[in-house]
Amino acid sequence: MNPKRLLSITRAGIMEALHFRLGIFVTLFANLIYLVLVYYLWKAIYASSGSDVVNGMSFTDTMIYLILATALFNFLEMFVVWDMSRSIQSGKIVLDLLKPMRFRKYTFWSYTGNHVVQFVLTFIPTFIVVMIVTKGAIPMGLNLLWFIIATVMALLINYNIEMMVAPICLFTESTWGINIVKETIVLLLSGASIPLAFFPEKARLIVSYLPFRAVYDIPLSILLGKSGSDTWSGLINLFALQCAWLIVLTIAGNLFWNHAVKKITVNGG
Amino acid sequence: MSNEAVVMKNVCKDFKVLNRHEGLKGSIRDLFSRDYKTVSAVKDVTLTVDKGEIIGYLGPNGAGKSTTIKMMTGVLEPTSGEILVNGRTPYKNRTENCEHIGVVFGQRSQLWWSLPLIESFKLLRDLYMVEQKDYEEMIELYRSLVDIEPILHKPVRQMSLGQRTLSDILAAFLHNPDIVFLDEPTIGLDVSMKSKIRELILGLNKEKNTTVILTTHDMGDVDALCKRIVIIDEGTKIYDNDIEHLKNYFGSYRTLKLKHADDSWEEMLIDEKTTDVMDVILEKQKQQKIKDVKILEISTEEVIRKIYEGGAK
Repeated sequence: MNPKRLLSITRAGIMEALHFRLGIFVTLFANLIYLVLVYYLWKAIYASSGSDVVNGMSFTDTMIYLILATALFNFLEMFVVWDMSRSIQSGKIVLDLLKPMRFRKYTFWSYTGNHVVQFVLTFIPTFIVVMIVTKGAIPMGLNLLWFIIATVMALLINYNIEMMVAPICLFTESTWGINIVKETIVLLLSGASIPLAFFPEKARLIVSYLPFRAVYDIPLSILLGKSGSDTWSGLINLFALQCAWLIVLTIAGNLFWNHAVKKITVNGG
Repeated sequence: MSNEAVVMKNVCKDFKVLNRHEGLKGSIRDLFSRDYKTVSAVKDVTLTVDKGEIIGYLGPNGAGKSTTIKMMTGVLEPTSGEILVNGRTPYKNRTENCEHIGVVFGQRSQLWWSLPLIESFKLLRDLYMVEQKDYEEMIELYRSLVDIEPILHKPVRQMSLGQRTLSDILAAFLHNPDIVFLDEPTIGLDVSMKSKIRELILGLNKEKNTTVILTTHDMGDVDALCKRIVIIDEGTKIYDNDIEHLKNYFGSYRTLKLKHADDSWEEMLIDEKTTDVMDVILEKQKQQKIKDVKILEISTEEVIRKIYEGGAK
């Protein structure tokens, strides 16, 4: 473990991400359009329900949740599956395997720069705008610190999900399909497209124990003080769930990757 | 310390390949097929490379050159046999082995595409944990060997192919590795860039006593850089000796050129061991008038071509 190494990779990642500054503005613009759509959709849902609070969430709550979920999505989004399958097809993976660092670690750190840039340039501005518009609907306090910890955990969990899916693409040789399936499952079951509070009772129970929730729903719930995160025991429960899945997925991701690397080194990819 | 940079003993590499069938029906059948065939890419290769040597590793396309290089770097595991690179088994401790080797694949770059070259250098410095002092010394050495100023602050994606290859070679030597693998480094480059790159490789090899294993299809590279060459074909080593020996190893060849009455030149390759050049000229002269005769020594390129085309068997 050499922090200088990791910082250096992150630094290069930040420089590379900033190089594509136009892309960041396009992302912000696309988000805006998406959010206008979400706004009217949920407005209609609330209007037709006839009450101000649905499933324990007011319209403002839902909007804050979904806006921040979108911002979080931009920030957490990784392209491991795409990048890896492309580099396997082109043979570039050989160069990555020849770095004097473990591949999984190297790959993770090569994305951190991008995460930092996305966090500063998309998540923080969105957060500030939401705060101003809702005039303080987001509680400000220790929950911010817990949110940051939960987000880092979410980042690691998301990376391990990617690292499990990427080797699958190696075997099926179909990246697009597998990636879309993964994306849809994660976005739906994590609460990024529909808040989990709106799921039917039984489905919610199942989903609440799945790892996807740990990526979007848990950090957002903690930030907004929902799902019992305003009490110590509730908070500990949420973190425990994240920790458990992180451990399970890290082990599974390791196994999948070791299997894949074996295939690459034995059969040349 | 042993004097060997690379030792390969009876190394074989087999690949399992699915037997593909023809047509749509065949494709559907392939979905469930367990019908694999084994392809031997490298067969029983034994090879020793001494420290500080530059060897040319040659062979026709698909002969198994890249497979061998990948095994030496640790990316591929040999099916059988033993490989030691700097006393380490490369595929067992790949990450550790990587700290002591440098690799350039002529067709792809390991540099950070959108960053200026100097940033890639700094990143590699930290990645390989090179001391600042050694790093600066290395950059100084680079300055003395090539004119790096114009490319140092240029983003890699804006570079010409030649500049990029040059940068990649510099990047591969940056952490002062014991051994550098160059896989077709001069592919697609113009004549002047080729000679610059050759000078650079020679200079770095001389200054740092780095072992260089070079694969190429350009005999100019071989003539300029390598004292010793190894040729493999269909996975088997067929030649391993000095470049001087090569020319008369497979027969002492001469190129004979005859100018006919209509000013056209006729060219033929003659093995002096089996046929006498004078006999050929006499024979030809009986058929028609010869205006001029030239006897040329065979070039490396032609010897190699003969070997690739099966002259060795």
